[in-house]
Amino acid sequence: MTLNAIGLLFGAAFGFVLGWARLTDYDVIRNMLLLREPDVFLIMMSAIATAAVGVRTLRALKTKSMVDDSPVNWKGEPPATRHIAGSVLFGLGWSVAATCPGPVAAQLGRGQFAGLFTVVGLLIGIVVCDRLRIRSTAREVQMRDAAAVGL
Amino acid sequence: MEILIARAPWYVAGPVIGILVTLLLWVANKPFGALGGYIEIAEWVRIRRRPGWRTYFTLGIVAGGLLSAILGAGWRPTVGYGSFDQLFGTSLVVKGVILVAAGAFMGAGGRLAGGCTSGHGVCGMSFGSPASLVSTATFMATAIGAAHVIAWLFGRSV
Repeated sequence: MTLNAIGLLFGAAFGFVLGWARLTDYDVIRNMLLLREPDVFLIMMSAIATAAVGVRTLRALKTKSMVDDSPVNWKGEPPATRHIAGSVLFGLGWSVAATCPGPVAAQLGRGQFAGLFTVVGLLIGIVVCDRLRIRSTAREVQMRDAAAVGL
Repeated sequence: MEILIARAPWYVAGPVIGILVTLLLWVANKPFGALGGYIEIAEWVRIRRRPGWRTYFTLGIVAGGLLSAILGAGWRPTVGYGSFDQLFGTSLVVKGVILVAAGAFMGAGGRLAGGCTSGHGVCGMSFGSPASLVSTATFMATAIGAAHVIAWLFGRSV
């Protein structure tokens, strides 16, 4: 099976659960963020707990990936400023839209077409972020080059 | 099917998502997360880079959502958005402006932080990645705080 087919299959399973658990509903996420009901927190925590055991078991058994035979593993990342700054922006958007990149795709499938606006916004945000980052990287390189030649 | 019409209880939905994270690592040795598909699509729009498997993952989520409606209470297309409509009105223009802006915050923020609620919040947390822990704590605290401010500004009764 190709990686694309695997992606489609896992996405479909995830989207089905998101829809079935109503994580696609404005009020389910809003009630979570307003701390009115614990269900979404419990979904996240039980998912983390299940996966934490699952992936460590795979790694301990020295499992090989089915696609390319590579040893199953992952890399942690040290926290940086961009994680905090980015997540503040993300949290602000999340609180208003009461949906995030996974559930909003499931919204579209379920016929909740207000989600189209959010998807357009997501793409705009990514493009803007990349444009700004490219510009700032170019400036950094320019300054480094300038420093290197003693300007 | 009766069971699919009612909302899935957390103790079914959560572990199933956890199993999907585990299986994806087993099958493809890839971290689970929804944001990557949008990044690929944005790069295709911006520089015509060919979309990869993460785009298929995101398209799969759309298909899975469709399936959950058909097998559940039925597919009922709408532009209504729950109590969002009571808080901000039913005008599509207002809804569009607010949701596009909110989406842009999530897109830029998620891109900068390198992950979203599924990528950092579930997958990265289960991996025990320090960056995911910091990101998740930050967007959770921010979203919970901001949601309370919105409720205070636009009506607590809804």
